[in-house]
Amino acid sequence: MNDIEAYRRKARNWLESVAPRYGRSAREGLSEKEDLALGRAYLKERHAAGYAGINWPVDYGGQGLGHIEKVAFDTEEMQFGMPTAYFGISLGMPVPVLMRFCEDKQWVRERVLKALTGEEIWCQLFSEPAAGSDLAGLRTRAEPDGNGWKINGQKVWTSWAQCSDYGVIVVRTDPTVPKHKGLTYFWVDMKAPGVTVRPIKLAGGDSHVNEVFFDDVKISDDHRMSPVGGGFAVAMATLMIERYVATDSAGFGPHLDLFVDLAKEVQLNGRPAIEDGRIRQQIARNYAMRSALDAITTRAMRMMQAGMEPGPEGSLNKLVSVRSRQKLSELAIDLQGAGGLAFDARAPVKQDWGVSWINAPTGRIAGGADEMLLNTIAEKILGLPQDHRPDKGVPFNQIPA
Amino acid sequence: MSILYDEGQLAIAAESRRILEARVSTEALLPLLEVQDRIHDPFWDLAREQGWTGVALPERYGGLGLGLTELGLIALQAGRSLSGAPFLTASYGAARALLDHGSDALKNEWLPQFASGAAIGAVAFAEGQEVIGQGVTFDRGSLSGKKSAVAGGTRADVAIVTASDGGEAVLALAPITGSRRDALESFDNSRCYADIGFSGTPAVELARGAAAEKAALHILAAQSVVAAHEQAGGAERLLEIGRDYALTRRAFGQPIGGFQSVKHRLAEMYAQVELSRAGAAHAASREDEADFIIAAAAARIQATEAYDGCARDCVQIHGGIGVTWEAGLHLHMRRARSLAIEQGNLFFWEDVLVDRLREQRR
Repeated sequence: MNDIEAYRRKARNWLESVAPRYGRSAREGLSEKEDLALGRAYLKERHAAGYAGINWPVDYGGQGLGHIEKVAFDTEEMQFGMPTAYFGISLGMPVPVLMRFCEDKQWVRERVLKALTGEEIWCQLFSEPAAGSDLAGLRTRAEPDGNGWKINGQKVWTSWAQCSDYGVIVVRTDPTVPKHKGLTYFWVDMKAPGVTVRPIKLAGGDSHVNEVFFDDVKISDDHRMSPVGGGFAVAMATLMIERYVATDSAGFGPHLDLFVDLAKEVQLNGRPAIEDGRIRQQIARNYAMRSALDAITTRAMRMMQAGMEPGPEGSLNKLVSVRSRQKLSELAIDLQGAGGLAFDARAPVKQDWGVSWINAPTGRIAGGADEMLLNTIAEKILGLPQDHRPDKGVPFNQIPA
Repeated sequence: MSILYDEGQLAIAAESRRILEARVSTEALLPLLEVQDRIHDPFWDLAREQGWTGVALPERYGGLGLGLTELGLIALQAGRSLSGAPFLTASYGAARALLDHGSDALKNEWLPQFASGAAIGAVAFAEGQEVIGQGVTFDRGSLSGKKSAVAGGTRADVAIVTASDGGEAVLALAPITGSRRDALESFDNSRCYADIGFSGTPAVELARGAAAEKAALHILAAQSVVAAHEQAGGAERLLEIGRDYALTRRAFGQPIGGFQSVKHRLAEMYAQVELSRAGAAHAASREDEADFIIAAAAARIQATEAYDGCARDCVQIHGGIGVTWEAGLHLHMRRARSLAIEQGNLFFWEDVLVDRLREQRR
């Protein structure tokens, strides 16, 4: 435990030393282009300082440390508001999957280094207009084309596709077999002819997600990362790879302390709102729930330190915390009365209740909708039956659209 | 202290669960609801025989020298089986008062008896809606006035009492074998609630003024952490009962657990159970730390929500059979409510918590 605490302290010192140049205040007023450039510079410096690829193999340019060091670093880093969002998906899933499933090791080493230093960004091309929670229902197809493949179709909700150099993609290579069995996994060059990226403006005003269109995009067979028809397993492995992630009991929104500050500052019926029973109850219940989530996280860390596998209850974090963030953000806006109508779409989500509120629904949908998480808990942890699935075992091209 | 249980602690949990499941049954608990001042004797015999009564007391007084974490683990198992007597919690609270504020003579007199279960301690703080009341007067070593619905009150030998001496708070210890005790007809009678009347009852002062107020809150917090484990255990058991029923009961051609309305209800119960267990374990690990009151309040709030919620939802999943006397789910419904009130209700702990969070942000 002392080792990890020492590691954490050292990381924090480093983060504090660079925060004036890369942290929240340094980013104020930057355009997205400038912010991305700052992010690339931060990643380069982070790499040089030895905090990149913390739990990745040394052989690939990682630090060869454990999940616990990575989670410790990420948890500390989260406090500073560094410009890391552009690289979150890239380093979280596609690049680790590359290390695991790509044959050409030398090529992978080059990609890993460039991804860790922020020079290259990878995106993940999974969701489609007709395939969100039901990923295996995707329709983008790859057909044999000479010695390689030709891709046609559309992906959606692709984070940071607009600044990505490469992507990993799941496509249908055989529509005549049941849906899970006709998928294949590739990597693609996002600058290749036929790839069109169109940003989607989200409710909060930002456009980090995109539609990506593929029109006769040709790739060679060495882009293939799974057996033909074996893509679903690699897709699942991609989604499982980030099992040890830094969690945030505030649901990646403002900390409860900020709500307490607000409730002390704002008057309700002529006295500080924190003296109002309705507000007190919300503070108390949210604190109780969030501190219990923190206890679950602490226990998971201790288990990892002891070389044990953390329990499945860690999966509750996103479900419970983002819901709480959503309601608390609504309440914080209400609490300010007419003052709550003021809105700054560019304010940081961990500091601003309006931005937290407008973006909270995304948190309850992206990366597993609440309903899917509940299903997973019910089926995988409690052993309840799977939902009725009329498309089970039916060839994909015979499922009613 | 870590919230990750060690091997010894896991063994305590497993062993207490095994024995309780072998010896306690719903059938035995149901009749206790309809009479006053009756406990489930096999439970209490077991608690004494296994040394649970002394688990968190120092070895010097005949205890096992363990702590709140271990007592909490036993309470969690007891909560699963609807513990048949309320004394583990209150005797610990009473012992806590003596350990922190009692003279050597008092400790030597009472602690070995608490450790063996030969004597039962009660914590008599509440007066009507006041969780920590000071309406009882303390005057030159004697108490006068009334305390409400003291858990274990019909059976206790000695009580820790909050009182007032001319407006100054006093924490006192009073043997109550000779005091007036009016058993309360309650929805959970095996908790042995009694109103206790003091009329010039001899008592020993343990603490005075701010120290007495602080001590009373600390004792209540310690008991709350035990209760939170019991509540988490009850919630955990209800989740299992609900899950098992959803897997066996069939409707519309499939187990009802295949319907999302039921699956999601159970998944939400799972969330409540895990949160309450983690909160309780965390609070137990903070007993001697500066943030203990905050941790205890948070654990208590989370556990009360979990047990109430699981009781509601488990009955709902059962449909008609869930509301029968025989099915016994109402035992958990009742216990969820009695535990929710016994060591201070939600309003009390929410206020305690928010006052401290407010203070922290100065």
